[in-house]
Parts: sequence; C-alpha cells; structure tokens
Amino acid sequence: MSPAAAVPDAADAVCDGALHMQVQQDRPMPLAGELSCAPGELLALVGPSGAGKTSLLRCLAGLMHPHSGRITVGGQVWLDTARGVCLPPQRRHVGLVFQHYALMPHLSARDNVALSLLHVPRAERARRASAWLEHVRLSPEQQRRRPAALSGGQQQRVALARALAREPALLLLDEPFSAVDQMNRQGLYDLLADLRQVLRIPIVLVTHDLAEARQLADRLVVMDAGRVLQQGTPEQIYRSPRNARVADLVGVQNRFAGRWLGPLAPQDEADAAGWLEWLASDGTPTGQRLRVRDKRRLRVGQRVTWVVQGDALHIGAEVQEACAGGPIGCVALRAQVVARRNLGETTFAELALDGAPGVRLRITRAGPQRRALQAEGWLQVRLDCDWVHVMPVRTG
Amino acid sequence: MDWTALWLSVELAAATLAVLLPGGLWLARWLARTRFAGKALVEGLVVLPLVLPPTVLGYYLLVSLGAGSPIGRWLLQTFDLRLTFNFLGLLVASVVFNLPFMVQPIQRAFEAIPPALIEAAAVSGLGRWATLWRVELPLAWPGILSAAVLTFVHTLGEFGVVLMMGGSIPGQTKTIAISIYDRVQAFDLASADRMALLLLLLSLLAVAASFFATARLMRPRA
Repeated sequence: MSPAAAVPDAADAVCDGALHMQVQQDRPMPLAGELSCAPGELLALVGPSGAGKTSLLRCLAGLMHPHSGRITVGGQVWLDTARGVCLPPQRRHVGLVFQHYALMPHLSARDNVALSLLHVPRAERARRASAWLEHVRLSPEQQRRRPAALSGGQQQRVALARALAREPALLLLDEPFSAVDQMNRQGLYDLLADLRQVLRIPIVLVTHDLAEARQLADRLVVMDAGRVLQQGTPEQIYRSPRNARVADLVGVQNRFAGRWLGPLAPQDEADAAGWLEWLASDGTPTGQRLRVRDKRRLRVGQRVTWVVQGDALHIGAEVQEACAGGPIGCVALRAQVVARRNLGETTFAELALDGAPGVRLRITRAGPQRRALQAEGWLQVRLDCDWVHVMPVRTG
Repeated sequence: MDWTALWLSVELAAATLAVLLPGGLWLARWLARTRFAGKALVEGLVVLPLVLPPTVLGYYLLVSLGAGSPIGRWLLQTFDLRLTFNFLGLLVASVVFNLPFMVQPIQRAFEAIPPALIEAAAVSGLGRWATLWRVELPLAWPGILSAAVLTFVHTLGEFGVVLMMGGSIPGQTKTIAISIYDRVQAFDLASADRMALLLLLLSLLAVAASFFATARLMRPRA
C-alpha cells in the first residue's frame, strides 16, 4: 500500500475518526446529501427502496463514484472530486457487510475471513480469522464449513467477521438483517450492541425497517428519491418531521390537515403560540381549534399538515393526569373507538372524533393501559398541544 | 491403425489448447466483464465458426492465408512463414475453429459470478490479480475445465477445416479423422473401424471425466 493512501487533510482539523460525507450528482441517478457520523455512533439510512440509501453506502465504500463530493474519515480524504482524489475500495479501510452476505462459496468460513487478511503472514492469517469468527460466536467446526452449509444467521456472522477483520475505520451495513429470521435477528442486534462498545468507529446502517432503525440507531437519515430529507435522533424526527413526505416515510400515524390562523391574542405572542384550525382531509372544518407552538414560519391562512405522536394523546383515566403542555396547554376532545386490533401485548385503536367522524386518531397502548381502549361509547381524549408539529403543505 | 496420424492429432489438440486456453480465457473474461458498442458483433464473430460449415471456414482460411493472398505473401516475405499444407497452418485453423468452444463456456462461467462477490473482494482489499486468482478463477473453474476438454476432443476429431487447410500429408497434416476417411475410401473398413472406435472411446472418456470433475467441484462441501 502506498503512503498516498493516508493523505492527512489540514482542512479537517478533527482527526477523531469521524465520518464526513457530502455528495451531489444528477445523473445517472439523482443523489444528494451531507452527513456526519461520530466514532461509536450508529447512523441509520432509512427510506423506501430506490431512495438511494444503498447508493450512498456504495459511494462510501468506493464501489460507486458520485459526480461530485467529498468523503473524509478521521481526517483522511477518501474522495474529493474537486481535487481529483478518489481512493479505490482496496485503499479505504472500510468493512462492508453486504445485503446477501456475498461470501465466497468456494471457501470455508475461515478462509472467507482470511481473505481480508492477505496483508498479514499466512500463519497469522488463519489464527486471526479464527479469533474473529470466535468473536462472532462461530464454533471451530462451523468455521470449517462452506457458506452453503451454514444458516443465514451464521453466514451473516461470517460476513460481519470478514468486515471486522480488516480493522476498518468505517463499518457499513447494507440491510444486514433483512434475510435473517426474527429469532436470529435479536441475537445479531445484541452482537452489534456489544461490538459498538468495543469499536470506536462510525457505523452506517442501511435499513427499510423503521422499527429496527429506531431500536439500533443513534441518529436517522431519512432519504427519498436520492435526497437526504432530514437527519436527527429518532425522537426528533418522529416528533417534528420536516415535511409531510418525511412524516409519511417514517410512518407517523397521526397526520392531519389544517389551516394556520396565527396568533390571535397578545398572550399568544408572549407564549410563542399560534392557532391551528383542524380540518378533515377533504378540507371541511372539524370545529376544533388548537393552540400550538408557533415557529413563525407560516403565513396566516396557509393550509398546513400537522402531526402529533401517540404519546401526546391521553385517554380515559390518563386524562386526570396533569397537562404537560406548559404554556401551550392541552385540548380536550371527545372520540369513539371505531376499530381495534390486538397484537400480543399491545392494542392498536382508531378513534373517530366527535363532530368529524371522518377524522381518525390512532393510539397504541400496551399492558394494563389497554383497558381504556376496550370501552364502548364516548371517550375523553386529551391532546397535549405542545407535541403538535405543524408543516406547510408542499405545493406542486 | 495409423499411429502417426493419431499422434499428429494429439499433438495438434495439445498445441491448440496451449494457444487457446490463455487467449480464450482473456477474451472470455473481457467479454463477460465489459460492455461496449459492437459487443454483439465481436460475440457473433467468436460464435461464427460454430455455425459455418467447416469446409467454408477452411476455404476462407486457405484463401486468405495461402501464399497467393496478401497476408500469405507478407508472411512469406517477412518471416519466411507458410500457413498452408503444414502443421502451423493446421494450428491456426484449429485455433480459429475452436474459438467458440473455448470462449463460450468460460464467458458464461465468468458471467455467472455474482458482481457482489467481486465487490466484496475489492472491499476486502484484494487487487485485480488477487481477485482473479483467488475468486474468479476458482469459481469459473468448472466452465474452464469443460471448455478445455471440449476443445481438445473437438480438435482430435476435426476433419473439414484440417483437410482444406492442410491437405493430407502423412506425418505433417494427415490427422486421424482424415486417415479414417482415407481407409474408408480404400475399402479398408477394418482399419477405419478400429480408428473410429478409438476416437469414440477417447472422446467419451474425456467428456465423461470432465463431467465427473465438474460435478465434484460443484458439490457443496460441508
């Protein structure tokens, strides 16, 4: 390996091992975005298929070359189209776990791992390959098998060991759990969590499974049609999606239409609050007005989309608890359960709003709190308005 | 039994293999990996000897490489080289004629390697040669083996092209297939019988051995 592989970059004074990426291209497929990932952090790229998640990952690995962009890892420049720098995959210290493992079918598990250790002497190679495979909990007998004689979960572990054996500066996981059954998946989640304790490198995970992304990732990067739409912690994104498309993509359940009325009283100005007229999806008023947080980004009279997390909806006995809305406050509603689905320990219910039967509130409750959802007739519902997030409707 | 003819055929088959294996391997891998305008034309040219009557192919080779042709004249004047009615001429004809038998199976074998494996090799740090040596060749091996056997056996029994290009000079261009034809023409059916049977058995043995080896290679090993 030539010394040119490690070009230190003065512009990136931070040499802490963090990943910084910025890409931009229109053809052959649009791809645009900027992201960073600190060492030890797990970043999940989420979005529908064709959103460009895997393409972004391939750019990081050096398997795809974006038209313009810049990638640095720990201050080392991997790609800088402005300066004509583009390291081949061989010279990027990257571990990539492929979606369908991509193990060599003609080699044993151990030889597969040893393949990424060609730079070390032969005897040492076998010893290290075995050590990595033991680390991912593969027995010596299993290590001698070819991939075809291993289960999906075991193949996945071999793929992970192969990626780690390179002692990468960046770990990339492309839908790593999609082909593994649920039982083995939990084991792999645990393995990944353990590895994160040991490895202080940035980890980028591509997944279309939102539950998985929320469970594993420190931060989410929401992508659609080749573009990064929003990034932040799962909590931030679910609570305040940037726009209606993001709300759709991350599966925000309580999404409604409205009209922005703006501040109506001097006290509203003082509290940084504004009024929102709740509309049914066809635009007819529901008769409800909500006093919500005003970020001064909306025009009065503008049509808006707004979302609220299930956590902000209180029903039955929960209504007695103190309103946590602060100066923004809460609103009391009346609704009726119109659909109910029990899934194991959780119940999912749809509530029709009094006066606007077309508007549905979606609530999930687990354990003893499910009882409130079993009631027939009208229910008291309290909506914590501080959790309401208002977005402009995208026109065109 | 015309042992000289048999030996000549074996020599020709071995020489053809020696030339065509590295060349065919390179051409097949290039065709499998590259996409370019006019690729269909190149592939068509490679397959052409398969569909052309051997006598037609032999005729064109004779006409284009013979001493009367510009190429033939140039070869003769520059290198003092003749490509007709000698072993070298047979070799050239045999190489051209066997091109599809060598290239096609190997090309299919390379094409069957999932691109993700090549990418996985690159990400694992393997350069071009290491990838070729440790990943591509082992995976394409059954295709390469069957192509080599096919080429060898096919050359052993080749008749039309060899006759056109080489005539029938004993010890130089009279191969076993031509010898069989000669014996039949001379009503020496007993000799023809023996040689034909030998050729049949040799071919069967080689093809069966390659199938056996391929099946062993493909068998998943615990």
